[in-house]
Amino acid sequence: MNSTHQEAATPSQKPALLEVRELVKYYPGRGVWPKPQPIKAVDNISFAIGYGETLGLVGESGCGKSTAAKTILRLIEPTSGAIVLEGTDIAKLSTSQFRPYRRDLQIVFQDPYSSLNPRMRARDIVAEPLQNFGRSGDCDDDKMAALFARVGLDREAMRKFPSEFSGGQRQRLGIARALALNPKLIVCDEPVSALDVSIQAQVINLLEDLQHELGVSYLFVAHDLAVVRHISQRVAVMYLGRIVEIGPVGELYANPRHPYTQALLAAVPKVGAGLAREKTLLKGDLPSPAKPPSGCTFRTRCPMARSECAESSPQLAAQGPQHWAACHFI
Amino acid sequence: MSTPLLEVTDLHLAFASREGVTRALEGVSWQLNAGEMLGIVGESGCGKSVTAMAVLRLLPAPPTTHISGAIRFRGENLLQASEARLQEIRGNEISMIFQDPMTSVNPVLTIGEQIAEVLMLHQKLARRAAWARAVELLDLVNIPDPQRRVHEYPHQFSGGMRQRAMIAIALACKPDVLIADEPTTALDVTIQAQIMELLDRLRRETGTAIVLITHDLGVVAESCDRVVVMYAGAKVEEAATNELFARPSHPYTRGLLDAMPRLDTPLTEPRGRLPEIPGMVPSLRGAAVGCRFAPRCALAIDRCRSEVPPFAPIDGANPTHRAACWRTVCEAIAE
Repeated sequence: MNSTHQEAATPSQKPALLEVRELVKYYPGRGVWPKPQPIKAVDNISFAIGYGETLGLVGESGCGKSTAAKTILRLIEPTSGAIVLEGTDIAKLSTSQFRPYRRDLQIVFQDPYSSLNPRMRARDIVAEPLQNFGRSGDCDDDKMAALFARVGLDREAMRKFPSEFSGGQRQRLGIARALALNPKLIVCDEPVSALDVSIQAQVINLLEDLQHELGVSYLFVAHDLAVVRHISQRVAVMYLGRIVEIGPVGELYANPRHPYTQALLAAVPKVGAGLAREKTLLKGDLPSPAKPPSGCTFRTRCPMARSECAESSPQLAAQGPQHWAACHFI
Repeated sequence: MSTPLLEVTDLHLAFASREGVTRALEGVSWQLNAGEMLGIVGESGCGKSVTAMAVLRLLPAPPTTHISGAIRFRGENLLQASEARLQEIRGNEISMIFQDPMTSVNPVLTIGEQIAEVLMLHQKLARRAAWARAVELLDLVNIPDPQRRVHEYPHQFSGGMRQRAMIAIALACKPDVLIADEPTTALDVTIQAQIMELLDRLRRETGTAIVLITHDLGVVAESCDRVVVMYAGAKVEEAATNELFARPSHPYTRGLLDAMPRLDTPLTEPRGRLPEIPGMVPSLRGAAVGCRFAPRCALAIDRCRSEVPPFAPIDGANPTHRAACWRTVCEAIAE
């Protein structure tokens, strides 16, 4: 579309594992009259993920972060745009052509309760991806036990049903299933938000250890800014279907440029901040994606909004090395 | 401040199920003073919500098989109060807001009817006066255009607005105590900040004391005066908020604080591992032999596994900072 989008798509130096260009996902609006407008769940976003890199994707409920993540796996079909995995645009492939690429792209879901079949034993849950790709030979007990050990589950666990595991153990099971096919990218869709703090730390450490050992890349979708800061090398902030800011984690958190990123960071309750707090609170709620505001979609809650913001939509503009933000006034 | 407004003393509570008896609370005590915000923190299953439900006697008799101790509200023991007396208290003198703002309002009644109902019931207001007051209350909790919104149904409200409407219902009768059970857990961080600011403002304006039940230490740090930390059905530490975060003493409190990724720590490359608390929360079936946290505690000694530690001041200097640990962390470092 324009040069800034192309630039934003380039990750740190090395060639990217995955490049997403101008990805769009519209859902049909409901109703008959007035003529329904499409719901712009993901509205023209571009980013890239390098080998062994973690890209954090943050934003509030309904900002389109999960839709974007699932679209990359084609669990949701994109409306338009390119999803380039190691040079191949997988968005253009037919279902059967795409099937081999599923091995390289796996997902860990948010809810460790509903994402595991309660009638299957743990071993069968983790072995299922291997069987789907004709690798039943890799499903012998020793190989499965090694996979279980890798996520911190013992051999005994293989015989159990999901109901016999705690939330944290179920999430380990979900991670083992995602790892079974040695994927290049794992999409982690809020993998720790259903877990208690002490268990959350265990799962985050596990994900990091696996990245060091296996060199797998993560797209880490979450609403918890502190968790994303800890695990990511680069972070993209979404608001109403668009990326409003993207940059290296240190830079983005220390020097947030977009007023939305600033407000999000200010809203996080902090241990050590004490009772005296002077926050610029965002007013109001997220607008409906069915009726987004004109121009900059953040303008209805933005403390800096002026009349220009209603007229044109700001594009991502360079703020520093690999740091882009979309705002008229920065 | 001589007598606390609400005082929970040595509360024990158990549930029966086919698998056996679950000891949900084992001797929990705390006090709430007038105008105070008390935080109760802990992870799933630590008993923090059950404590809140017990205060309003919202736990049905089966499966609750055993409840003992005392819950005194202005000196009156609610565990011995009649159902009629409890109905006078609920929503009037002590009210509660819940985590999920969708399932805790009635979907087929307008927001206005639900606020007016409380006022007509407890304050014997006439319908017209109750509706006028409902509009004022919606305005008080920052709902835009309250004249129109009062006639809307819960599904027409966003999550944050629904929680604000819940707060309006809870505050309708100017209660002395508001129990807020994870009021912001289902909300986004920017909306959470709005709700916490609202609760803080209302407390200052109306003098309502608040018990804030949450798993989020950050929320507690920014809003509460005092904090009670719970683990596996028991209180493990209690202190003024600043004191607790400056000198967390129970190994569980320290572990929780360390396990949280923070926004203000330096970013190293590669990133350091988060300190974990190994293992998981124990089953609450069967009586506690020793400290419930001992199996996960790096500092545990033999005594921790055989004797339940007393809840005692951590040192002579600050008698209000107390913990239930045989070895406070300070001692461990000194050794």
